[in-house]
Amino acid sequence: MTKASIDDLIDGLADELEPVRPRRVARGSLWVVAGWIGGGAALLWLSGARHDLADGAMMPPLPMLSFWLIVALGLAAAWSALRMGLPGVGRDYSGWRWAGLATLALPLSALVIGFGDSHAAMEAARPENGLRCMIEGALSGLGVGAALFFWLKGGAPTSPTRAGWVIGFAAGAAGAAIVALHCTSNDMIHIALWHGLAILLSGVVGRWLLPPLLRW
Amino acid sequence: MSIDEPSLARLMAASQRGDRAAYRALLGDSRKWLERYFARRSAPHQIDDLVQETLVSMHRKLATWDPSRAFLPWLAAIARYRWIDMLRRQRDEAELGDNDAAIGAEDDAVHARLSIDHLLAQLPPAQAQAISLVKIKGASIAEASQICGQSESLVKVNIHRGLRRLAQLVESE
Repeated sequence: MTKASIDDLIDGLADELEPVRPRRVARGSLWVVAGWIGGGAALLWLSGARHDLADGAMMPPLPMLSFWLIVALGLAAAWSALRMGLPGVGRDYSGWRWAGLATLALPLSALVIGFGDSHAAMEAARPENGLRCMIEGALSGLGVGAALFFWLKGGAPTSPTRAGWVIGFAAGAAGAAIVALHCTSNDMIHIALWHGLAILLSGVVGRWLLPPLLRW
Repeated sequence: MSIDEPSLARLMAASQRGDRAAYRALLGDSRKWLERYFARRSAPHQIDDLVQETLVSMHRKLATWDPSRAFLPWLAAIARYRWIDMLRRQRDEAELGDNDAAIGAEDDAVHARLSIDHLLAQLPPAQAQAISLVKIKGASIAEASQICGQSESLVKVNIHRGLRRLAQLVESE
């Protein structure tokens, strides 16, 4: 590449310029909200809501706390992923990690509870008692995952690997939050293990599947 | 003409609205800024290619600049991405056993090394030496093997691992 050919390149790029509409995080957020609502509506339509919630009762305290922690992780990860689409040196995309750290309270609590009642823990860990929740959680988050993927595909994520992780965690947390509205279990071990695995599984799938598709 | 942030941001905002004259001026100023940016980070024979690739990426990703934010951090993020991409390509070439041509332009080379030396100092010595010999000074794998006393396959492994680590260091910059 010579200096003259860079001049030619600049002329060529300038000649083909068309007006563009700046991408706004707010617009991407709407797609994420739509994906979240769509995933929730699909699961609740297919499988129904928790019977206590359907009857107008409150969720018990611990499952409710878990639900909001997972929602917070989903929101923080989705917000980080949306911001990754608009690059800038010095911008911090790591806010979701704090929500992730807070969510670790769930498996830690489950571990402590499991030490106290190992029989109940073994029972909760049986696949027939939770595998379905994990699969439904991972699938319910696909709407959020797709919204974030297409947002970043049109954006300019400067670390596709990190973007893959964050999209996966956002999708998994969105799905796990949706499943909490359907799953009738109030057992912390079940929630931490099977709902948590949906988040982890989505994160790993995002990490391995998405980076090659997000390079530009 | 001085390249200052407010002027660049104004030119970029006009470019997003489709003003070709403003865009041509913006690309010209960006080119000067990028040449300085890459001169501190890459070997001189790579600078023009990196500038060209960054200008094309900038053109493709024009809509990702937020007019409420500064322009240069956006341009630097795109430049850094292209630089990491080049490091990755070099790593892949190292896996295949290729190496770059020797470089000249001693004055530019000294400036380029100011920043790359800082990064290489953060690598294990064997990786830094292999990268310095093959990727910066243009030695062949065989020559580098003789100079640093590593087997040829170890030189390739050290280049591969070192470039991967370099890319991580740049990403976390």
